[in-house]
Amino acid sequence: MRMKYVLTEVMVGLWRNVTMTIAMIITMTVSLFLLGFSGLLYQKVGDMKDLYYENVEVSIFLDTEVSAEERTELEAKLKNDPLVKESTYVDKKEAYERFQEMYKDAPDLVNAVKADQLPESFRLKLVNPEQYKNIYDQYKDTGGVEEIVDQSKLLDKVFNVLTGIQNFTLFISVVMAAAALLLVANTIQVAAYSKRREVAVMKLVGASNWFIQAPFVLEAVVAGLMGAVLALGWLVVGKYLLGSGSMASLEGLITPISWSEIFLMFPIIAGIGSLVTAITAWVTLRFYLRV
Amino acid sequence: MTKTYPKASRPSLDNVSVAIEKGEFVFFIGPSGSGKSTIIKMLLHEVAPNKGRVVVNGKDVTSMRSWKRPAFRRSIGCVFQDFRLLPNRTAYENVAFALEVIGKTKAVARRVVPEVLELVGLGGKEHRYPHELSGGEQQRVAVARAFVNRPLILLADEPTGNLDPDTSIEIMRLLDRINRTGTTVVMVTHDSNIVNQMRRRVVEIESGRIVRDQARGVYG
Repeated sequence: MRMKYVLTEVMVGLWRNVTMTIAMIITMTVSLFLLGFSGLLYQKVGDMKDLYYENVEVSIFLDTEVSAEERTELEAKLKNDPLVKESTYVDKKEAYERFQEMYKDAPDLVNAVKADQLPESFRLKLVNPEQYKNIYDQYKDTGGVEEIVDQSKLLDKVFNVLTGIQNFTLFISVVMAAAALLLVANTIQVAAYSKRREVAVMKLVGASNWFIQAPFVLEAVVAGLMGAVLALGWLVVGKYLLGSGSMASLEGLITPISWSEIFLMFPIIAGIGSLVTAITAWVTLRFYLRV
Repeated sequence: MTKTYPKASRPSLDNVSVAIEKGEFVFFIGPSGSGKSTIIKMLLHEVAPNKGRVVVNGKDVTSMRSWKRPAFRRSIGCVFQDFRLLPNRTAYENVAFALEVIGKTKAVARRVVPEVLELVGLGGKEHRYPHELSGGEQQRVAVARAFVNRPLILLADEPTGNLDPDTSIEIMRLLDRINRTGTTVVMVTHDSNIVNQMRRRVVEIESGRIVRDQARGVYG
């Protein structure tokens, strides 16, 4: 009977103040959707970093007039460098083959370049791609070195943009969450006011505190959970749009988001949504009901 | 005990000491602002004294933690001048509400509530709403609600304050009947008529001090 009483009270409470309930659910939805989006982006950026940095190379291009001693000396140095995981020597011929492969769609360009115009190089895989700077400082003045190029510099720019988007959505999510929580606090106050007589009687006859508070707290939690369900819906719709619409071209760049990743996001946003609303409601009641 | 409210120039209750025995019927009388209601609030663990102790049912409630308050209140019934009924519930539902919110089942309520409504003389009016009842009848519902849980103590804060003299006497008969079941009744009032008719113990308070404590007393 107690459970039934509490659930009836929750439904009546949500319905009595239905415009407020809707406002609460909408802000909750937007906030949790952005939180979920930000979480997925965080995962993706992590995945992509693993994937791309794994293959990232630092290239040391050599002078065209490099001497054989300088080359062997450099090769030996690189072999013994603790920062370098592996180094590969690419001679002119191989560089030309790579060049042909890379620009096979532009035969004019390939034809314009002669095989011996391309510089020899060492392709390095670093133990930690972020230590590029050390490598650069160490080898930039070594004899025979023309130029040092770090591919990860390019990736960093991409990741900076993605991390920026992620931080921005997280920020908006927090702002929306603040608005949602203020609405929760307000809704709870209105609900407590409209039930002040019942609450007074309950306190008087000795109803336990949880029994007095539970309907109010659950009211907020139900709204939070509805927000989480709708936010999940938005994420699903978002994936459809990303997969089919104008965003489809990004698919190649960003590793695809799987359904399981989206649905695993649900317990997280639902948990955060209900926990945060429950705490807000409870704190509001502490101040407002003094039970 | 002594109770001083913040910002008050003098204590609401100043060195007051009263012992009320089990099964007694006690009036607290005195002018407005004399501190009578503060006593009720202390017995309910709503306010705590600044000095001294409040012992109810053998338990020291002065230092009782607030989370124990609900269980404590189940042993005390309470009636007020303004009835404090829920307007959107019938007489039956008002009384049943008090049982259900402390975890009693509907089956218990169906058994106990008609019984207690019969006791207070409201048999046949169970399904009326408060606005369909007279003031005296509403106060009977309130008494039924306070008594349905068979408390050891019944506190009544000016229970006849809103009622005409004849109705007041009926309510007093009811409280007297409840007192005869062994329930201690503590009543705050300034209705001299009633006090004079009942001839029960009277404790008079003035400016926070006890000026009279008399068995079988009269008003002033």
